[in-house]
Formats: sequence, C-alpha cells, structure tokens
Amino acid sequence: MVDLALLLKGFGTVLSGYNFIALILGSFMGIIVGAIPGLTATMGIALLVPFTFGMSPITGIVMLLGIYTGGIYGGGIASILIKTPGTPAAVATTFDGYPMAQKGLAGKAIGIATVASGIGGTFTALCLTFFAPILANFALRFSAPEYFALAVFGLSVVVTLAGRSPLKGLISGGLGLLIAMVGLDPMGGFPRFTFGRIELTGGFSFVPMLIGLFALSEGFRQMETILTAPRVKTVLKDIIPKFRELTACTVTFVRSCIIGLIVGITPAIGAETSSLISYAEAKRTSKHPEKFGTGILEGVAAPQCAENASTGGDMLPMLTLGIPGDAATAVLMGALTIHNLQPGPLLFRDHQELVHQIFGGMILANFMFVILGLFFARFFARVINIDRRYLVPLIFIACMVGAYSINNVMYDLVTCVCFGFIGYLMMRYDYPVSPMVLAQILGAMMESNFRRSLVMSSGDPLILVTRPIALTILILAVFATVTAIRRQRRTFQAQASMETPT
Amino acid sequence: MAGASMKKADILVSLIIVPICLYVFYESGNWPKQALIGAPTLIPWGVASCLLVAAGVQFVRALTGRALTLEEPLTGSSRRRVLFAALLTGGYAAFVAYVGFLVTTFLYLVFFGLAAGERRWGRLIAFAVAVPIAIYLIFSTTLNVPLPPGLFR
Repeated sequence: MVDLALLLKGFGTVLSGYNFIALILGSFMGIIVGAIPGLTATMGIALLVPFTFGMSPITGIVMLLGIYTGGIYGGGIASILIKTPGTPAAVATTFDGYPMAQKGLAGKAIGIATVASGIGGTFTALCLTFFAPILANFALRFSAPEYFALAVFGLSVVVTLAGRSPLKGLISGGLGLLIAMVGLDPMGGFPRFTFGRIELTGGFSFVPMLIGLFALSEGFRQMETILTAPRVKTVLKDIIPKFRELTACTVTFVRSCIIGLIVGITPAIGAETSSLISYAEAKRTSKHPEKFGTGILEGVAAPQCAENASTGGDMLPMLTLGIPGDAATAVLMGALTIHNLQPGPLLFRDHQELVHQIFGGMILANFMFVILGLFFARFFARVINIDRRYLVPLIFIACMVGAYSINNVMYDLVTCVCFGFIGYLMMRYDYPVSPMVLAQILGAMMESNFRRSLVMSSGDPLILVTRPIALTILILAVFATVTAIRRQRRTFQAQASMETPT
Repeated sequence: MAGASMKKADILVSLIIVPICLYVFYESGNWPKQALIGAPTLIPWGVASCLLVAAGVQFVRALTGRALTLEEPLTGSSRRRVLFAALLTGGYAAFVAYVGFLVTTFLYLVFFGLAAGERRWGRLIAFAVAVPIAIYLIFSTTLNVPLPPGLFR
C-alpha cells in the first residue's frame, strides 16, 4: 500500500528548491516540445536526459516527468491552432479543436484541452500512486520464469502492434532483439556479435541509441519540410474554461480517464490509441453525434483527457515490473538507469522514499502543465511559429552533445549519429522505431530470465509453463495480443472514418 | 508521385536481413554450450529464424505488388537537404574530437543554416556563436558535464 506520510514528504521534496524549478522547467519545455509539430514527448525526454546528469536523481526525474506530461498535453495546442498534431497522440484533438479555432474559439478550445488533460493526468497519477505499490509487492514473488513470461507478454504485444504493418513491427522488434544481444553474454561472459571491437563488449550504449532513434531521426525528418513549416496568427481569448462548461463534460472526463488508464497499462500502446478510442466512444455515446467534427467542447475534452490519462498507465508497468508501456516510458526507464535506479519491484523495496517522490512528482507535474498551459497559452501558441532553420540544427547539436556527455566517449556520439540515420530511414519507410527500442529492453530481460529458468530446472523448459504465475502471464500474453490487435484494428477503422468527412 | 510504393525499400531490407541472420547462425554456432549457462544459442537462433521468415514474407509481398505505399515520397531538394544534413552530422562526429567542440559546432551551425536556406548572415553568425558558448557554459560550467575535447576547445 502507498505510505501517505512518505507521499506527503514526497510532495514536500518535489515542491522544494531545485526540484520545483526543475518541475517548472520540465513542464515548460515539455509543452514547447509538444506544441511544435513533429517534436514528440519521447524526443523531448531523450533530448533532455543529458541535462539531468548533473542533477540529483529526484531533480532529474521530476524534470523528465514534467517534460513527459507537458509534452503529451502540448501536442493538442498545434492540433487546435493549425490542424497539425503537435504529437501523434493529438491527432484526435484536430477533429473538433481546429473547427473551434475556425469559429474564433481557439482560446476556449485550448482552455478545455488544458483542463481535460490535467484531469486525465491527475487521475492516472493517483491510480499509479495507489496501485503501483500493490503490484510491486506482488511482483516480489516473481522469479526467472515469471520475468521471462512478463518479457514475452511485453514483446508479444510490442511486435504485433506497431504502425501500419505488423510485419514491419515484427522486423523492427526482431532487429531490436538482435541488437540487445551485442556485447558480453549475460551468463557465460563471452563476447557476442562484437566483431572483435572492444567498444562493443558492453553492447550498444542505450541512451545514445535512444537519442539517435527518437530525436536525431526526427531532426532528419524535419529537414525535409524545413522550408514549409506552418505559420499561424491567432488571437486567443476566453482561455480559462467556465464552470458550467466543465460540468457539461463530466461524463466525458470519467469515461476518458478510464479508457486512458486501461490503454496506458496495455504494453506498447499509449496516448495515440487512447485519444482515438476516447473520441470515438464520446461520439458513439453522445446524444448529438452529428455535432462531433463541427467544433464542440466534448470533442476536444475526450481525446485530451484520455491521452494524458494514459501516462500513469504507461508508467505503472515500467516502474513496478521494468516493462515500459510505450516509447516515452522506455526512454524514461533509460533515464532512471542512468541515475542508478533499476525499475522493478526492488525499486519499491530499496528506494521507498524516492518512489513516493516520483509519485508526488507525477501528480504535481499534471497540475504544473495546467497552470502553465492556462497562463502562457498565448506564448505557446506563438512557439508553433519558431523558425525551423534554427530549431533543427539546435536539436542536432543537443542530440550529439547529449550522446557524448553520457560516458564522455566518441563512440557514443558515433552510435547516436548512426542510429539517428537508421531511425530516420525506418520512419521514412514505415518501420516503427518503438518496437526496436522496447525489444532491446525486453529482449535482454527475456533472454537472461529464460536461461536462468533453464539453469534452475536443469534444462527442463517445462518450468516456464508449470508455475502458476508464469503460466497465467503467458496466457494473458496470448489474450492481450489477440485483443490488442482487434482493438488496434478498430482504432484504425475509427481513424479512417473520422478522417473521411461524411 | 504521391502514394509511391515502398517495394524497393522492402526488398532491400529483406535482402539486408538475410546475411545478418546467417551471421547470427554462424557466430552463435561457435559459442560454448555448457548446461550451466542455459542454452545460449536458443534465443538468437529463434529470433534469427523469425526474422528470416518475416523477411521472406516481406520479400514475396513486395514482389507481388503488395508493398505499402509511401505517404510522402522524398524528392528533389528535400532529399538533398537530408543527405547534406547526414553528411554534415557524420562529419561533425568525425572531427569534433580533433578540432574541438566550439569551433566544430560553430562551423556545423553555419553550414547547417545555409543548407536550410538561411541567408541572413548576421543572424546566422550570431546564432552559430551563441549556441556553442551557451552549451559550453551550461554543460561544462554549470552541470560539470565534459564536452568533446580537441585542438580549439
């Protein structure tokens, strides 16, 4: 159970000194990154991880949580103002947000989007706070077969659920698994796939690779459209939503919170999916479905609330089991390991105070972006116009400096650049990058636990299916894969039907 | 050009995967197989086999005209800009350790700005000077995180 005294102490820590400044800065930068089309929360975290090296773990983590939650929310600003989602998660916000802006209600749309995101995010952060310790406590009973089953559970959904083509997701995930094997064998200690290079004995450096795959690749992508970036001139008014407008959306908030949480907990799918499902459900259950798409408050509140409600859901398996819920939490997990914190049940046992500070940070981060979002809405609206000819090279330099500064070796810089270009080519040709990264994390976990299980059972693979928890998780893996594929198919159908005006 | 097929890219990727997987089989065949380290070849072989099957399926799909279409094909000046950025970034990674962070970053930003279409020299130079100095101050001075060394640090 959550320790309320520690939680209160955690709030105090987050609200004090450098931590609070880091939270404000993180949220501010997160909203900016989210608001600029093409830059995602994942990229923002990857880019800013190096800035946290010199900070204490909690200061760095709080800053990254601010970027994460702020980045997810910020995507809606560009969706509303220029009909271009700031992040992939904000696609559904364009459906009603942009029509509202065309009616001269951009301020109102941004206001409701901000509050809806805040409600969703706070709800899910509270769920994380209360459920994570229970799950972590349960996970303390896990041994190698159970962790193997968990990794299979994560992988089974990861590789089948990415992008337009599951086959490409499978290839991306498979390559990620092979990359995870580079380095010394986890049990035998002999070198694998190192080609005799001493630099590769530790495997590919994870964070430089993440920075390359998620941030540098996006820089290359931005180079394509650097001269055709959108411009907007909007007058924002009535940003703070009225009480009756909020109460009118109560049912939408509740439904979207639940959808966001459930989708977030499911591995490999996150804010992108939850916002679309939530929008579709809001439209389906509305008394006036015909008004959706014409610019109504519920049409903005539903996707925004759900996308932020998935953040806590994504964090839950990452913190308690060491299984990231999506790409952004995979990067967050990398950041935690840099600060010598290994996500999983032992984190809850050995670093109770820090875990409660993370909970406090997560809750406060959601309040922070609401405050910043409402009071600096006009500034964030102008950020969309930032000159890409200066922004893109800045991203490149930040990526390379960040990659180098992790271990202060040039090899990391080269890794970052190589994976940056590989990531760009993958994005260009529809090979999703997320399965590759998640497969690396889960692949290492799967392999080492699979082999430990075999050693435990003197080579009998039946150990993997004769232990009740492991077997249950493996059955759940099959079930989750099937349901997730069906859900994904429905999401694509919903997306297609919404993008085709009737 | 909109909606161009990804056929060539899919075939190329499939063909790249085959030697990678064959190498996995080759190298892992030489690994020790003691019981105490729990079948080290099993997972690499399983992954390589799955990848080979996936590459084979993708190859056949591409050849039979079932490759997905590109949402936005890369053409003309966009392609040149991306290639230039890739070369410039590769060059930066190669030279920064020898030339030093401040000078390499300045040159990188100037060339990058020019490639991105910026022609206002004053603004570009000011930007190229300010960014490396700001990063140097933030990382080296404030955060105590070292930057690449070099002749003209």
